[in-house]
Amino acid sequence: MTDRQIEILIDSLLPLLKAGVVFTIPLALVSFALGLIVAVATALARLSTIRVLRLVARFYVWIIRGTPLLVQLFIIFYGLPYAGITLDPFIASVIGFTLSVGAYGSEIVRAAILSIHKGQWEAAYSIGMTRWQALRRVILPQAARVAIPPLGSSFISLVKDTSLAATILYMEMFRVAQQISAAKYEPLLIYSAAGAIYLLFCSVLSWLQNITEKRLARYSAS
Amino acid sequence: MIEIRNLHKSFGSLEVLKGIDMTLERGKVLAIIGPSGSGKTTLLRCFNLLEVPDRGILTVGKQTLDFEAGKKVREKEAVALRKQTGMVFQSFNLFPHQTAIENIMEAQVTVQKKSKSDSRQRAAELLAKVGLADKAEFYPHQLSGGQQQRIAIARAMAVDPEVLLFDEPTSALDPQLVGEVLKVIKQLAADGMTMIIVTHEMKFAADVADRVILMDGGVIIEEGPPENVLENPQSARAIQFLNRLASYEI
Ligand SMILES: Nc1ncnc2c1ncn2[C@@H]1O[C@H](COP(=O)(O)OP(=O)(O)OP(=O)(O)O)[C@@H](O)[C@H]1O
Ligand SMILES: [Mg+2]
Repeated sequence: MTDRQIEILIDSLLPLLKAGVVFTIPLALVSFALGLIVAVATALARLSTIRVLRLVARFYVWIIRGTPLLVQLFIIFYGLPYAGITLDPFIASVIGFTLSVGAYGSEIVRAAILSIHKGQWEAAYSIGMTRWQALRRVILPQAARVAIPPLGSSFISLVKDTSLAATILYMEMFRVAQQISAAKYEPLLIYSAAGAIYLLFCSVLSWLQNITEKRLARYSAS
Repeated sequence: MIEIRNLHKSFGSLEVLKGIDMTLERGKVLAIIGPSGSGKTTLLRCFNLLEVPDRGILTVGKQTLDFEAGKKVREKEAVALRKQTGMVFQSFNLFPHQTAIENIMEAQVTVQKKSKSDSRQRAAELLAKVGLADKAEFYPHQLSGGQQQRIAIARAMAVDPEVLLFDEPTSALDPQLVGEVLKVIKQLAADGMTMIIVTHEMKFAADVADRVILMDGGVIIEEGPPENVLENPQSARAIQFLNRLASYEI
Protein backbone atom coordinates (compact mmCIF):
# COMPACT_ATOMS: atom_id res chain seq x y z
CA MET A 1 0.00 0.00 0.00
CA THR A 2 1.18 3.46 -0.78
CA ASP A 3 1.20 6.20 1.82
CA ARG A 4 -1.68 7.84 -0.01
CA GLN A 5 -3.76 4.67 0.24
CA ILE A 6 -3.00 4.30 3.94
CA GLU A 7 -4.08 7.87 4.46
CA ILE A 8 -7.34 7.36 2.53
CA LEU A 9 -8.02 4.18 4.49
CA ILE A 10 -7.51 5.91 7.83
CA ASP A 11 -9.66 8.84 6.74
CA SER A 12 -12.51 6.65 5.55
CA LEU A 13 -12.63 4.08 8.37
CA LEU A 14 -14.22 6.46 10.81
CA PRO A 15 -17.06 7.62 8.52
CA LEU A 16 -17.70 4.00 7.52
CA LEU A 17 -17.84 2.79 11.10
CA LYS A 18 -20.01 5.71 12.03
CA ALA A 19 -22.47 4.94 9.22
CA GLY A 20 -22.48 1.32 10.37
CA VAL A 21 -23.24 2.14 13.96
CA VAL A 22 -25.64 5.03 13.35
CA PHE A 23 -27.52 3.74 10.28
CA THR A 24 -26.85 0.07 9.44
CA ILE A 25 -27.31 -1.38 12.93
CA PRO A 26 -30.41 0.67 13.82
CA LEU A 27 -32.01 -0.22 10.48
CA ALA A 28 -31.33 -3.90 11.17
CA LEU A 29 -32.59 -3.69 14.76
CA VAL A 30 -35.81 -1.84 13.96
CA SER A 31 -36.59 -4.08 10.97
CA PHE A 32 -35.84 -7.20 12.96
CA ALA A 33 -37.98 -6.20 15.95
CA LEU A 34 -40.94 -5.37 13.72
CA GLY A 35 -40.23 -8.41 11.56
CA LEU A 36 -40.42 -10.70 14.59
CA ILE A 37 -43.87 -9.40 15.44
CA VAL A 38 -44.97 -10.03 11.85
CA ALA A 39 -43.31 -13.46 11.93
CA VAL A 40 -45.12 -14.61 15.08
CA ALA A 41 -48.44 -13.23 13.85
CA THR A 42 -47.96 -14.94 10.48
CA ALA A 43 -46.97 -18.25 12.08
CA LEU A 44 -50.06 -18.13 14.31
CA ALA A 45 -52.24 -17.25 11.32
CA ARG A 46 -50.85 -20.25 9.43
CA LEU A 47 -51.68 -22.50 12.39
CA SER A 48 -55.06 -20.89 12.96
CA THR A 49 -58.32 -22.79 12.72
CA ILE A 50 -59.67 -19.98 10.53
CA ARG A 51 -59.18 -20.79 6.85
CA VAL A 52 -59.04 -17.21 5.55
CA LEU A 53 -56.24 -16.33 7.96
CA ARG A 54 -54.26 -19.38 6.87
CA LEU A 55 -54.67 -18.45 3.20
CA VAL A 56 -53.69 -14.80 3.65
CA ALA A 57 -50.60 -15.82 5.62
CA ARG A 58 -49.55 -18.39 3.04
CA PHE A 59 -50.03 -15.90 0.21
CA TYR A 60 -47.83 -13.33 1.95
CA VAL A 61 -45.05 -15.84 2.62
CA TRP A 62 -45.29 -17.14 -0.94
CA ILE A 63 -44.88 -13.64 -2.45
CA ILE A 64 -42.01 -12.57 -0.21
CA ARG A 65 -40.04 -15.79 -0.47
CA GLY A 66 -40.58 -16.08 -4.20
CA THR A 67 -39.25 -12.66 -5.22
CA PRO A 68 -35.83 -11.05 -4.73
CA LEU A 69 -35.47 -8.66 -1.82
CA LEU A 70 -33.87 -6.12 -4.19
CA VAL A 71 -36.97 -6.17 -6.40
CA GLN A 72 -39.21 -5.73 -3.35
CA LEU A 73 -37.21 -2.70 -2.23
CA PHE A 74 -37.41 -1.17 -5.71
CA ILE A 75 -41.16 -1.69 -5.84
CA ILE A 76 -41.60 -0.06 -2.44
CA PHE A 77 -39.29 2.89 -3.05
CA TYR A 78 -39.38 3.56 -6.80
CA GLY A 79 -42.69 1.91 -7.66
CA LEU A 80 -45.12 2.99 -4.98
CA PRO A 81 -44.77 6.74 -5.76
CA TYR A 82 -46.58 5.96 -9.03
CA ALA A 83 -49.45 4.69 -6.92
CA GLY A 84 -49.38 7.90 -4.93
CA ILE A 85 -47.33 6.57 -2.00
CA THR A 86 -43.96 8.24 -1.59
CA LEU A 87 -41.76 6.99 1.24
CA ASP A 88 -38.44 8.24 2.46
CA PRO A 89 -35.53 5.81 2.09
CA PHE A 90 -35.45 4.82 5.76
CA ILE A 91 -39.16 4.02 5.96
CA ALA A 92 -39.07 2.17 2.64
CA SER A 93 -36.09 0.13 3.85
CA VAL A 94 -37.74 -0.72 7.16
CA ILE A 95 -40.89 -1.86 5.37
CA GLY A 96 -38.93 -4.00 2.92
CA PHE A 97 -36.75 -5.68 5.55
CA THR A 98 -39.64 -6.11 8.00
CA LEU A 99 -41.69 -7.94 5.38
CA SER A 100 -38.71 -10.12 4.57
CA VAL A 101 -37.91 -11.01 8.19
CA GLY A 102 -41.63 -11.56 8.79
CA ALA A 103 -41.94 -14.10 5.99
CA TYR A 104 -38.75 -16.09 6.58
CA GLY A 105 -39.09 -15.77 10.36
CA SER A 106 -42.66 -17.08 10.25
CA GLU A 107 -41.37 -20.36 8.84
CA ILE A 108 -38.88 -20.64 11.70
CA VAL A 109 -41.51 -19.81 14.32
CA ARG A 110 -44.03 -22.17 12.76
CA ALA A 111 -41.54 -25.04 12.68
CA ALA A 112 -40.63 -24.32 16.31
CA ILE A 113 -44.28 -24.41 17.38
CA LEU A 114 -44.85 -27.65 15.49
CA SER A 115 -41.76 -29.17 17.10
CA ILE A 116 -43.31 -28.97 20.58
CA HIS A 117 -44.61 -32.37 21.61
CA LYS A 118 -48.36 -32.94 21.35
CA GLY A 119 -48.35 -34.00 25.03
CA GLN A 120 -47.67 -30.39 25.99
CA TRP A 121 -50.87 -29.21 24.30
CA GLU A 122 -52.78 -32.04 25.93
CA ALA A 123 -51.38 -31.27 29.39
CA ALA A 124 -52.34 -27.62 28.93
CA TYR A 125 -55.86 -28.52 27.80
CA SER A 126 -56.21 -31.05 30.60
CA ILE A 127 -55.81 -28.32 33.23
CA GLY A 128 -58.55 -26.27 31.58
CA MET A 129 -56.65 -23.92 29.29
CA THR A 130 -58.13 -22.53 26.10
CA ARG A 131 -56.17 -22.89 22.87
CA TRP A 132 -54.89 -19.34 23.21
CA GLN A 133 -53.83 -19.81 26.86
CA ALA A 134 -52.04 -23.04 25.95
CA LEU A 135 -50.17 -21.23 23.19
CA ARG A 136 -49.20 -18.25 25.29
CA ARG A 137 -48.28 -20.03 28.52
CA VAL A 138 -47.01 -23.43 27.42
CA ILE A 139 -46.21 -23.69 23.71
CA LEU A 140 -44.69 -20.32 22.77
CA PRO A 141 -42.23 -20.17 25.68
CA GLN A 142 -40.89 -23.57 24.64
CA ALA A 143 -41.01 -22.76 20.93
CA ALA A 144 -39.02 -19.57 21.58
CA ARG A 145 -36.08 -21.63 22.80
CA VAL A 146 -36.19 -23.70 19.64
CA ALA A 147 -36.52 -20.65 17.40
CA ILE A 148 -33.84 -18.43 18.92
CA PRO A 149 -30.75 -20.01 17.25
CA PRO A 150 -32.15 -19.90 13.68
CA LEU A 151 -33.59 -16.42 14.28
CA GLY A 152 -30.11 -15.34 15.36
CA SER A 153 -28.83 -16.48 11.98
CA SER A 154 -31.61 -14.50 10.29
CA PHE A 155 -30.49 -11.40 12.12
CA ILE A 156 -26.92 -11.86 10.93
CA SER A 157 -28.17 -12.23 7.35
CA LEU A 158 -30.27 -9.12 7.80
CA VAL A 159 -27.28 -7.04 8.88
CA LYS A 160 -25.59 -7.96 5.60
CA ASP A 161 -28.76 -7.48 3.56
CA THR A 162 -29.13 -3.91 4.79
CA SER A 163 -26.42 -3.03 2.24
CA LEU A 164 -29.19 -3.37 -0.36
CA ALA A 165 -30.74 -0.23 1.10
CA ALA A 166 -27.93 1.66 -0.61
CA THR A 167 -29.77 1.10 -3.86
CA ILE A 168 -32.77 3.02 -2.58
CA LEU A 169 -30.62 5.90 -1.41
CA TYR A 170 -30.54 5.16 2.30
CA MET A 171 -27.25 6.44 3.72
CA GLU A 172 -26.17 3.27 5.45
CA MET A 173 -22.60 2.02 5.53
CA PHE A 174 -22.41 0.63 2.02
CA ARG A 175 -23.74 3.79 0.42
CA VAL A 176 -21.16 5.81 2.34
CA ALA A 177 -18.54 3.41 0.99
CA GLN A 178 -19.81 3.97 -2.57
CA GLN A 179 -19.48 7.72 -2.17
CA ILE A 180 -15.98 7.64 -0.68
CA SER A 181 -14.87 5.20 -3.34
CA ALA A 182 -16.21 7.40 -6.13
CA ALA A 183 -14.52 10.48 -4.71
CA LYS A 184 -11.14 8.87 -4.15
CA TYR A 185 -11.01 6.35 -7.05
CA GLU A 186 -10.09 3.52 -4.64
CA PRO A 187 -12.87 0.92 -5.00
CA LEU A 188 -10.74 -2.09 -4.03
CA LEU A 189 -9.53 -0.45 -0.86
CA ILE A 190 -12.78 1.15 0.28
CA TYR A 191 -15.10 -1.75 -0.50
CA SER A 192 -12.68 -4.09 1.25
CA ALA A 193 -12.74 -1.81 4.27
CA ALA A 194 -16.55 -1.83 4.25
CA GLY A 195 -16.50 -5.62 3.93
CA ALA A 196 -14.16 -5.85 6.90
CA ILE A 197 -16.55 -3.82 9.04
CA TYR A 198 -19.49 -6.08 8.08
CA LEU A 199 -17.27 -9.01 8.99
CA LEU A 200 -16.55 -7.44 12.35
CA PHE A 201 -20.26 -6.86 13.07
CA CYS A 202 -21.23 -10.37 12.05
CA SER A 203 -18.41 -11.96 14.04
CA VAL A 204 -19.56 -10.17 17.17
CA LEU A 205 -23.13 -11.32 16.51
CA SER A 206 -22.05 -14.93 15.91
CA TRP A 207 -20.19 -14.85 19.17
CA LEU A 208 -23.29 -13.57 20.98
CA GLN A 209 -25.33 -16.25 19.25
CA ASN A 210 -22.98 -18.97 20.49
CA ILE A 211 -23.24 -17.75 24.06
CA THR A 212 -27.04 -17.65 23.89
CA GLU A 213 -27.19 -21.16 22.46
CA LYS A 214 -25.03 -22.51 25.26
CA ARG A 215 -27.29 -20.83 27.82
CA LEU A 216 -30.42 -22.25 26.23
CA ALA A 217 -28.93 -25.74 26.11
CA ARG A 218 -28.18 -25.53 29.81
CA TYR A 219 -31.81 -24.83 30.76
CA SER A 220 -33.59 -27.10 28.34
CA ALA A 221 -34.72 -30.56 29.31
CA SER A 222 -32.56 -33.31 27.91
CA MET B 1 -71.07 -38.46 39.77
CA ILE B 2 -69.53 -39.55 36.50
CA GLU B 3 -71.67 -41.22 33.91
CA ILE B 4 -71.46 -42.21 30.26
CA ARG B 5 -74.22 -43.63 28.13
CA ASN B 6 -73.80 -45.45 24.84
CA LEU B 7 -70.46 -43.84 24.01
CA HIS B 8 -69.09 -44.43 20.51
CA LYS B 9 -65.78 -43.36 19.02
CA SER B 10 -64.12 -44.20 15.71
CA PHE B 11 -60.82 -43.22 14.17
CA GLY B 12 -61.59 -43.21 10.48
CA SER B 13 -63.10 -46.58 9.74
CA LEU B 14 -61.76 -48.15 12.96
CA GLU B 15 -64.46 -48.27 15.62
CA VAL B 16 -62.58 -48.12 18.92
CA LEU B 17 -65.43 -47.63 21.40
CA LYS B 18 -68.58 -49.54 20.55
CA GLY B 19 -71.17 -48.27 22.97
CA ILE B 20 -69.78 -47.93 26.48
CA ASP B 21 -72.02 -47.45 29.53
CA MET B 22 -70.76 -46.84 33.03
CA THR B 23 -71.45 -44.92 36.21
CA LEU B 24 -69.06 -43.95 38.97
CA GLU B 25 -70.18 -42.61 42.34
CA ARG B 26 -68.42 -39.75 44.00
CA GLY B 27 -65.41 -40.79 46.09
CA LYS B 28 -65.05 -44.15 44.36
CA VAL B 29 -62.11 -45.51 42.41
CA LEU B 30 -62.57 -47.27 39.10
CA ALA B 31 -59.80 -49.31 37.46
CA ILE B 32 -59.92 -49.97 33.73
CA ILE B 33 -57.98 -53.01 32.54
CA GLY B 34 -57.81 -54.92 29.29
CA PRO B 35 -55.51 -56.00 26.49
CA SER B 36 -53.50 -53.54 24.39
CA GLY B 37 -55.60 -51.76 21.77
CA SER B 38 -58.88 -52.49 23.55
CA GLY B 39 -59.71 -48.76 23.78
CA LYS B 40 -58.82 -47.99 27.41
CA THR B 41 -56.84 -44.84 26.67
CA THR B 42 -59.43 -43.64 24.18
CA LEU B 43 -62.21 -44.08 26.73
CA LEU B 44 -60.24 -42.25 29.41
CA ARG B 45 -59.50 -39.36 27.03
CA CYS B 46 -63.20 -39.01 26.28
CA PHE B 47 -63.80 -37.97 29.89
CA ASN B 48 -61.90 -34.72 29.36
CA LEU B 49 -62.55 -34.40 25.64
CA LEU B 50 -58.98 -34.95 24.50
CA GLU B 51 -60.93 -37.30 22.26
CA VAL B 52 -64.39 -36.12 21.26
CA PRO B 53 -66.89 -38.99 21.19
CA ASP B 54 -68.92 -39.45 18.01
CA ARG B 55 -72.09 -40.37 19.85
CA GLY B 56 -73.34 -40.74 23.42
CA ILE B 57 -73.84 -38.81 26.62
CA LEU B 58 -71.18 -37.78 29.14
CA THR B 59 -71.91 -36.40 32.60
CA VAL B 60 -69.25 -35.08 34.96
CA GLY B 61 -70.58 -33.45 38.13
CA LYS B 62 -73.27 -31.00 37.09
CA GLN B 63 -72.29 -30.85 33.43
CA THR B 64 -73.82 -33.08 30.78
CA LEU B 65 -72.72 -33.18 27.14
CA ASP B 66 -74.65 -34.85 24.38
CA PHE B 67 -72.60 -35.92 21.37
CA GLU B 68 -73.84 -36.41 17.85
CA ALA B 69 -71.95 -37.12 14.66
CA GLY B 70 -70.90 -33.90 12.94
CA LYS B 71 -71.70 -31.68 15.95
CA LYS B 72 -68.68 -29.78 17.21
CA VAL B 73 -68.02 -29.21 20.90
CA ARG B 74 -67.55 -25.53 21.68
CA GLU B 75 -64.34 -24.50 23.39
CA LYS B 76 -66.32 -23.07 26.29
CA GLU B 77 -67.99 -26.42 26.99
CA ALA B 78 -64.71 -28.30 26.71
CA VAL B 79 -62.99 -25.88 29.09
CA ALA B 80 -65.85 -26.10 31.60
CA LEU B 81 -65.59 -29.88 31.55
CA ARG B 82 -61.82 -29.87 31.86
CA LYS B 83 -61.97 -27.61 34.89
CA GLN B 84 -63.75 -30.47 36.63
CA THR B 85 -61.27 -33.13 35.58
CA GLY B 86 -57.56 -33.64 36.13
CA MET B 87 -55.42 -35.96 34.03
CA VAL B 88 -52.18 -37.77 34.76
CA PHE B 89 -50.36 -38.96 31.64
CA GLN B 90 -48.22 -41.99 31.03
CA SER B 91 -45.28 -39.74 30.06
CA PHE B 92 -45.94 -37.07 32.74
CA ASN B 93 -46.01 -34.14 30.27
CA LEU B 94 -44.84 -31.62 32.84
CA PHE B 95 -44.10 -28.15 31.48
CA PRO B 96 -40.30 -28.28 31.10
CA HIS B 97 -39.82 -24.50 31.22
CA GLN B 98 -41.41 -24.22 34.64
CA THR B 99 -40.27 -25.37 38.06
CA ALA B 100 -42.20 -28.01 39.98
CA ILE B 101 -44.14 -25.42 41.95
CA GLU B 102 -44.82 -23.29 38.86
CA ASN B 103 -46.24 -26.35 37.12
CA ILE B 104 -48.70 -26.75 39.98
CA MET B 105 -49.51 -23.03 40.12
CA GLU B 106 -50.15 -22.69 36.39
CA ALA B 107 -53.80 -23.78 36.27
CA GLN B 108 -54.68 -21.73 39.33
CA VAL B 109 -53.09 -18.56 37.94
CA THR B 110 -54.02 -18.85 34.27
CA VAL B 111 -57.31 -20.77 34.38
CA GLN B 112 -58.78 -19.99 37.78
CA LYS B 113 -57.32 -16.45 37.92
CA LYS B 114 -56.24 -16.90 41.51
CA SER B 115 -53.56 -14.62 42.91
CA LYS B 116 -49.94 -15.75 42.69
CA SER B 117 -49.54 -15.94 46.45
CA ASP B 118 -52.72 -18.00 47.00
CA SER B 119 -51.69 -20.29 44.16
CA ARG B 120 -48.22 -20.72 45.55
CA GLN B 121 -49.58 -21.60 48.95
CA ARG B 122 -51.95 -24.22 47.55
CA ALA B 123 -49.18 -25.59 45.32
CA ALA B 124 -46.89 -25.93 48.32
CA GLU B 125 -49.57 -27.88 50.18
CA LEU B 126 -49.98 -30.22 47.22
CA LEU B 127 -46.22 -30.67 46.93
CA ALA B 128 -46.11 -31.67 50.58
CA LYS B 129 -48.97 -34.07 49.99
CA VAL B 130 -47.03 -35.92 47.27
CA GLY B 131 -43.92 -35.86 49.46
CA LEU B 132 -41.87 -33.39 47.42
CA ALA B 133 -41.94 -30.21 49.50
CA ASP B 134 -38.17 -29.91 49.11
CA LYS B 135 -38.29 -30.03 45.28
CA ALA B 136 -40.40 -26.89 44.71
CA GLU B 137 -37.73 -25.01 42.77
CA PHE B 138 -36.49 -27.93 40.69
CA TYR B 139 -37.10 -28.14 36.95
CA PRO B 140 -38.67 -31.36 35.65
CA HIS B 141 -35.45 -32.54 33.98
CA GLN B 142 -33.73 -32.37 37.35
CA LEU B 143 -36.18 -34.88 38.85
CA SER B 144 -36.56 -38.65 38.59
CA GLY B 145 -39.47 -40.16 36.69
CA GLY B 146 -41.24 -41.07 39.90
CA GLN B 147 -40.83 -37.54 41.23
CA GLN B 148 -42.03 -36.05 37.95
CA GLN B 149 -45.13 -38.20 38.01
CA ARG B 150 -45.89 -37.15 41.60
CA ILE B 151 -45.56 -33.49 40.53
CA ALA B 152 -47.91 -34.27 37.64
CA ILE B 153 -50.44 -35.69 40.11
CA ALA B 154 -50.17 -32.53 42.20
CA ARG B 155 -50.65 -30.42 39.05
CA ALA B 156 -53.79 -32.36 38.16
CA MET B 157 -55.11 -31.93 41.72
CA ALA B 158 -54.57 -28.16 41.68
CA VAL B 159 -57.82 -27.39 39.89
CA ASP B 160 -59.75 -29.27 42.63
CA PRO B 161 -61.25 -31.61 40.07
CA GLU B 162 -64.37 -33.68 40.43
CA VAL B 163 -62.44 -36.66 39.11
CA LEU B 164 -58.80 -37.57 38.43
CA LEU B 165 -57.98 -39.56 35.30
CA PHE B 166 -54.84 -41.71 35.15
CA ASP B 167 -53.49 -43.38 32.00
CA GLU B 168 -51.04 -46.09 33.07
CA PRO B 169 -49.33 -43.69 35.46
CA THR B 170 -46.46 -46.05 36.26
CA SER B 171 -45.77 -47.81 32.98
CA ALA B 172 -43.04 -45.37 31.90
CA LEU B 173 -41.22 -45.73 35.22
CA ASP B 174 -38.28 -47.88 36.29
CA PRO B 175 -39.63 -50.70 38.51
CA GLN B 176 -38.04 -49.30 41.67
CA LEU B 177 -39.91 -45.98 41.19
CA VAL B 178 -43.38 -47.48 40.73
CA GLY B 179 -44.05 -47.87 44.45
CA GLU B 180 -43.73 -44.20 45.37
CA VAL B 181 -46.30 -43.21 42.75
CA LEU B 182 -48.77 -45.95 43.66
CA LYS B 183 -48.46 -44.92 47.29
CA VAL B 184 -49.53 -41.36 46.45
CA ILE B 185 -52.52 -42.65 44.46
CA LYS B 186 -53.55 -44.92 47.34
CA GLN B 187 -53.38 -41.98 49.71
CA LEU B 188 -55.68 -40.00 47.40
CA ALA B 189 -58.11 -42.91 47.35
CA ALA B 190 -58.07 -42.98 51.14
CA ASP B 191 -58.80 -39.22 51.14
CA GLY B 192 -61.93 -39.89 49.09
CA MET B 193 -60.79 -38.64 45.69
CA THR B 194 -62.85 -39.90 42.76
CA MET B 195 -60.50 -41.56 40.29
CA ILE B 196 -60.50 -43.51 37.04
CA ILE B 197 -57.26 -45.41 36.52
CA VAL B 198 -56.16 -47.29 33.43
CA THR B 199 -53.56 -49.76 34.66
CA HIS B 200 -51.72 -52.98 34.02
CA GLU B 201 -50.86 -53.39 37.71
CA MET B 202 -53.44 -55.98 38.74
CA LYS B 203 -52.41 -56.14 42.37
CA PHE B 204 -52.67 -52.37 42.62
CA ALA B 205 -56.08 -52.44 40.93
CA ALA B 206 -57.26 -55.06 43.39
CA ASP B 207 -55.97 -52.98 46.32
CA VAL B 208 -57.18 -49.53 45.40
CA ALA B 209 -60.22 -49.91 43.16
CA ASP B 210 -63.81 -50.11 44.30
CA ARG B 211 -64.79 -51.32 40.87
CA VAL B 212 -63.01 -52.78 37.87
CA ILE B 213 -63.93 -52.63 34.20
CA LEU B 214 -62.36 -55.11 31.83
CA MET B 215 -62.43 -53.92 28.21
CA ASP B 216 -61.81 -55.87 25.04
CA GLY B 217 -62.36 -54.80 21.46
CA GLY B 218 -64.09 -51.56 22.37
CA VAL B 219 -66.69 -53.01 24.72
CA ILE B 220 -66.85 -53.75 28.43
CA ILE B 221 -66.73 -57.52 28.83
CA GLU B 222 -66.62 -57.71 32.61
CA GLU B 223 -67.50 -55.26 35.35
CA GLY B 224 -67.84 -55.29 39.12
CA PRO B 225 -65.91 -55.25 42.39
CA PRO B 226 -62.27 -56.30 41.98
CA GLU B 227 -62.72 -59.61 43.76
CA ASN B 228 -65.37 -60.61 41.21
CA VAL B 229 -63.69 -59.34 38.04
CA LEU B 230 -60.12 -60.30 38.88
CA GLU B 231 -60.63 -63.55 40.78
CA ASN B 232 -63.89 -64.87 39.47
CA PRO B 233 -64.40 -63.66 35.89
CA GLN B 234 -67.34 -65.04 33.94
CA SER B 235 -66.58 -64.65 30.24
CA ALA B 236 -64.08 -66.84 28.40
CA ARG B 237 -62.20 -63.81 27.03
CA ALA B 238 -61.80 -62.30 30.49
CA ILE B 239 -60.46 -65.58 31.86
CA GLN B 240 -58.01 -65.84 28.98
CA PHE B 241 -56.75 -62.26 29.47
CA LEU B 242 -56.29 -62.65 33.23
CA ASN B 243 -54.53 -65.99 32.85
CA ARG B 244 -52.12 -64.52 30.35
CA LEU B 245 -51.34 -61.65 32.73
CA ALA B 246 -50.87 -64.06 35.62
CA SER B 247 -48.36 -66.07 33.61
CA TYR B 248 -46.38 -62.86 32.91
CA GLU B 249 -46.34 -61.84 36.53
CA ILE B 250 -44.76 -65.09 37.70
N1 LIG C 1 -55.50 -40.84 17.31
C1 LIG C 1 -55.70 -42.07 16.80
N2 LIG C 1 -55.83 -42.23 15.47
C2 LIG C 1 -56.05 -43.46 14.94
N3 LIG C 1 -56.15 -44.57 15.66
C3 LIG C 1 -56.03 -44.48 16.98
C4 LIG C 1 -55.79 -43.24 17.62
N4 LIG C 1 -55.72 -43.44 18.96
C5 LIG C 1 -55.90 -44.76 19.14
N5 LIG C 1 -56.09 -45.40 17.96
C6 LIG C 1 -56.35 -46.82 17.80
O1 LIG C 1 -57.45 -47.16 18.59
C7 LIG C 1 -57.28 -48.43 19.20
C8 LIG C 1 -57.43 -48.32 20.69
O2 LIG C 1 -56.36 -47.54 21.19
P1 LIG C 1 -56.18 -47.20 22.72
O3 LIG C 1 -54.96 -46.37 22.81
O4 LIG C 1 -57.42 -46.63 23.27
O5 LIG C 1 -55.92 -48.63 23.35
P2 LIG C 1 -55.43 -49.05 24.81
O6 LIG C 1 -56.43 -49.99 25.33
O7 LIG C 1 -55.16 -47.83 25.60
O8 LIG C 1 -54.09 -49.83 24.50
P3 LIG C 1 -52.71 -49.88 25.33
O9 LIG C 1 -52.91 -50.85 26.45
O10 LIG C 1 -51.72 -50.38 24.34
O11 LIG C 1 -52.40 -48.50 25.80
C9 LIG C 1 -55.94 -48.95 18.74
O12 LIG C 1 -56.13 -49.82 17.65
C10 LIG C 1 -55.22 -47.69 18.29
O13 LIG C 1 -54.30 -47.98 17.27
MG1 LIG D 1 -53.39 -46.95 26.39
